[in-house]
Amino acid sequence: MERLVVIWCPDLLEEGQRGEEARRFARVVAAAGELCPWVHPVRLGVCALPARGPARFFGGEEAVVSLLAARLGASDDAAGGRGGEEVRIGVADGLFAAVLAARAGLIVPPAGTAGFLASWSVATLGRPDLAVTLQRLGVTTLGQLAALPATSVSDRFGTDAAACHAVARGESGELAGLRDRAVERRLRVARGEDPERGDAPPPPTQPGFFGGTSEADVRAARSFVKVQERLGVEAVLLGRLRGGRDPAGQSVLVPWGSPDTDAGTGGGAPWPGRLPPPAPTDVLREPLRAELADAEGNAMVVTGRGLLTAPLTRLSVCGGPWEQVVGWAGPWPVTERWWSARRRTARLQVVTADGVARLLRTERGQWWVEALYD
Amino acid sequence: MAGRTLPVPPSLAPLFPGGTLRRGTTTTVSGPPGHGATTLALSLLAAASAAGSWCAAVGLRDPGVVAAAGLGLDLRRVVFVPHPGAGWAEVAGDLLAGVDAVLVRPPRRARLTAARHLSARARERQAALVVLLEHTGAWPEGGDLALSVCAGAWEGIGRGHGHLHGRRAEVRVSGRRAAGRAVECALWLPAATGAVAPARREAAERKTEEQKTEGQEKAARPEGAGFGVGPEAA
Repeated sequence: MERLVVIWCPDLLEEGQRGEEARRFARVVAAAGELCPWVHPVRLGVCALPARGPARFFGGEEAVVSLLAARLGASDDAAGGRGGEEVRIGVADGLFAAVLAARAGLIVPPAGTAGFLASWSVATLGRPDLAVTLQRLGVTTLGQLAALPATSVSDRFGTDAAACHAVARGESGELAGLRDRAVERRLRVARGEDPERGDAPPPPTQPGFFGGTSEADVRAARSFVKVQERLGVEAVLLGRLRGGRDPAGQSVLVPWGSPDTDAGTGGGAPWPGRLPPPAPTDVLREPLRAELADAEGNAMVVTGRGLLTAPLTRLSVCGGPWEQVVGWAGPWPVTERWWSARRRTARLQVVTADGVARLLRTERGQWWVEALYD
Repeated sequence: MAGRTLPVPPSLAPLFPGGTLRRGTTTTVSGPPGHGATTLALSLLAAASAAGSWCAAVGLRDPGVVAAAGLGLDLRRVVFVPHPGAGWAEVAGDLLAGVDAVLVRPPRRARLTAARHLSARARERQAALVVLLEHTGAWPEGGDLALSVCAGAWEGIGRGHGHLHGRRAEVRVSGRRAAGRAVECALWLPAATGAVAPARREAAERKTEEQKTEGQEKAARPEGAGFGVGPEAA
């Protein structure tokens, strides 16, 4: 996990009635960006930047934090307006811990994440339902959550809870909902720019600024920024692997230039229930509705014991024509204790007569094509 | 600029004159949907990205990141622009100026001007352009090299057992730089490891032939004919 500096602006976390928070936050981001490259808004009132480069450049993380605090505290002086915003700054491994560190105004030592997180409430995960359930079980802190075995968390509460568990253990810094993808756009609006295009942001990679950047990197960075100017910051993505069972859950696409993009591409740890390679080439963000039938034309159902009701013979995608099935494998359970009444879901690989292979999933009696093997 | 060529995985070297992906050239990769063209196109970026070259993939709407990693792409060196919109050619043009290899899937049949512009841009910036298409004709310029995937067949999956192990496919090479050689290559697109690998086409053919001609004399067939690699295949 990458070490991140997070700047947390308690007054700017929510848009007020006069709507000036986004504008004030845009000023904070710009002022921080003058000091360090790679400053990236996470959500309204929260921005982040990688700690490593600036720490080397300015002589330590403490120096970075105090420089930023000084700069942001006075950020409005030049404009002749009010005083600086109230900001709290923290440093830790991974985004989740770094946000909490900022709230607490702390620099959490490298590898000290799990210990730091242990005393925070499970409510900080931003999962009210999960928090209530956990608290009923006597699990009130992230430390207690981290102490639960990973398999039982994912079996019992599903993949999102497994992601929360990994965060609580300090193994992951990313959690769905932590980033607000719309924040860039809101900032562009706040700066009076065209929300679709945006003004030219400074290239995040500055040659020689922190060293270690080759000419080819700079050239590539320039072209990526140009594409971002055309299409928006979220248009240029880097893929990263992470633990997960679903084809969609095993990887994530993050905007190029965001603070965590060089945070490694590992995550190849064994993950029970994962389909063996090869992986599908097209993982559909929007799965396609599908129908499966046996030779008599009866809809295919997975039985309570996890078996198909009859040999599979036909597939239709999105209401299209029936295609002959020549091979299939599965159904594979999605979790170990999967075939509970609560979550009936399983996967199937299906090859049709035209030689096309698809990955299907069933949930609540409906089949979906979730990936293709092109 | 480091060298005039970009490396390709060893199993793909027979497809390329000189065994490498030449900078400044346009390579089309085509095949009916679902038959391995995406796998082949992505794997053309594998060795280059692993050797430190920046690469870009434009217009792959739902890129399978795990598959890309399995094919050997270095994810730290590959940017995806899944939704370039109507200006896909401009986006690809911008990227050709910045990275060593650009893979682009046009959303529809490309206009001649767009195709010419991109090929010229690739030449001028000495980057490799790889165009992913459903059929070769969808790229009006014609590539310097045209790779077509045909006759893909999955192995390892039965009727209710096994799982997808690998897809055996034939790749045919044509185009200006193929220099009249009709190279055909049998490949695993991909193999059970997730990467591409050479497939022993002879073995499969001999097996079917044996089944057909059982009891008869085996037809004399020059070894390797039709899919040989190198000058003797001309």
